[in-house]
Amino acid sequence: MSILDQIAQAVLEGDEQTAPRLVQQALDENLPASQVLQDGLLKGMNEVGRRFREGEYFIPEVLVAAEAMKAGAAVLKPHLVRAGVRPEWTAVIGTVQGDLHDIGKNLVATMLEGAGFEVLDLGVDVPPEKFVAACRQRPVHVVGLSALLTTTMPMMETTIAHLKQSLDHPPPVIVGGAPVSQAFADKIGAAGYGPDAATGAEVAKRLCLAGRS
Amino acid sequence: MVLTSRERVARCLARQPHDRVPLFDWFWSETEADYVARIGDPRLGCGIHAAQAGYHERLTLWEYFDFDLMQVAWPDQRLRMVEPEVLEETDEWVLQRDGNEAVLRWWKHKMGTPEHVRFGIDSPEKWFQVKHLLRPSRQRVRWDEFWPRWRRAKAAGKFICFAGVEIIESVKDTLGHEMMCKALIKQPEWIRDVFETYTQFEIDMFHLVEAEGMVCDGAFIYGDIAYKNGPFMSPRHYREFVFPCHKRFFDEFHRRGMPVILHSDGDIRPLIPHFIEAGVDMINPLESRAGMDVRQLALQYGERLGFCGNIDVMVLATNDRQRIHAELESKMSAAMKYRGYMYHSDHSIPPGVTLETYRWLLDEVRRLGRYE
Repeated sequence: MSILDQIAQAVLEGDEQTAPRLVQQALDENLPASQVLQDGLLKGMNEVGRRFREGEYFIPEVLVAAEAMKAGAAVLKPHLVRAGVRPEWTAVIGTVQGDLHDIGKNLVATMLEGAGFEVLDLGVDVPPEKFVAACRQRPVHVVGLSALLTTTMPMMETTIAHLKQSLDHPPPVIVGGAPVSQAFADKIGAAGYGPDAATGAEVAKRLCLAGRS
Repeated sequence: MVLTSRERVARCLARQPHDRVPLFDWFWSETEADYVARIGDPRLGCGIHAAQAGYHERLTLWEYFDFDLMQVAWPDQRLRMVEPEVLEETDEWVLQRDGNEAVLRWWKHKMGTPEHVRFGIDSPEKWFQVKHLLRPSRQRVRWDEFWPRWRRAKAAGKFICFAGVEIIESVKDTLGHEMMCKALIKQPEWIRDVFETYTQFEIDMFHLVEAEGMVCDGAFIYGDIAYKNGPFMSPRHYREFVFPCHKRFFDEFHRRGMPVILHSDGDIRPLIPHFIEAGVDMINPLESRAGMDVRQLALQYGERLGFCGNIDVMVLATNDRQRIHAELESKMSAAMKYRGYMYHSDHSIPPGVTLETYRWLLDEVRRLGRYE
């Protein structure tokens, strides 16, 4: 098994000790940092996402895999910075105003990082203005909105409208959360819907790839 | 056949012939306050009246709507039974450290899941320093609230349930979901100790309540085992870590002839066979938006398991009587074939379901739920 496949395997197994060790070994063998990231760490997380979507992995397996990925990424980060390698896309994510639920949103943030995004997590109870402000500070490629309650779902539509009114080029918005459905996402003008965290990250990536082309 | 509520629920849980589908439900606190205000009956009370003298002698909405079941006991599961320490607050929310050393942000004026800011018990070392605090104690039950309810329910022939929580619900309040889930893989012996400690505590609290004379007909146990897309943990992890604890807890009730109703939001379908084996007699509330459908579940499990719920709150919130009738008719007729169905919404009645709609709904349930 190549060193990169071993890194991917360490992430898949949630091995927080082995992943960074193998990342260092790969760097010592003069593999480019970007390749270690894409074909090692992110490849592993991509497979984690697939298994989560397919019902083979559950939240515990995803969380420990994410920790292994982050441990490996911490070793890689200075090398990526030196090489000028940055994540291709930035995602802004938050739970909408009036809603304090963060578990689902945190899982989506993890899966977005695993898909190669830089994630700006605005937290919970985020007013529309704060999403707009985040999109003005830097190029943002996708916005993710989370809501747990039927009573806070309407804020998703309000937030989308606010982004469209306030920004010349509003980024696409994906929505998710317990009460949210594809039909609701379509009704409020969201660009995408994530029925689960892994699919949400995949939808975000597809939107960014479509935007690139 | 004319039955008391107690007889009706007992027969329903045993899937024996009975007169009609029993009724039970939960309300958002905003809905409860709205209904109580609109009903305007001075005998009625709800959470906003809790600080008033004589509150505990007021009737609950459960009694006003003549539900068949009453819940009592609800032992306090916190490590320390202390007033939460307020760390920060605004007019809208309060950030506080609670008796489990968890720092949570709560809305002040509406119901909802809090923001989990951080959890103080975040290592085995800290757990072993505090686990001794989980001692059974009379102070953990609000006797002045539940004795009046128990007496009224007894006099009215209601089916009285010991209400409490199971271990995942307890442990996530102390460690948080994330720590609990990761520990299943990274620190299995620690999480096993946590689960077993809480299980013993829950059993001891049930024994204490029973010894005080608050004898119940069944158990209604609330859990936090799943979310919209499935269980928080795999069936393998459930089997290894949680199943032995659930079985031990539920056996305590069964030894006394008390059936067990288990509540968990979310999609619990992968765990249902394990729940049945652990001794669950009925599941609740069967969240529609999580893919739970009593029409399918009854076909699969109706001869071994009862169902309490699945009436979609999103349909109820339309206040469209035609749609609500269709929802009731479709689901109740399927579930009633096996005689183990109790009416309940698929979550809690939200604001937006008018009192008029709700009254009409209960009349419809009583009409459609009659067995020939």
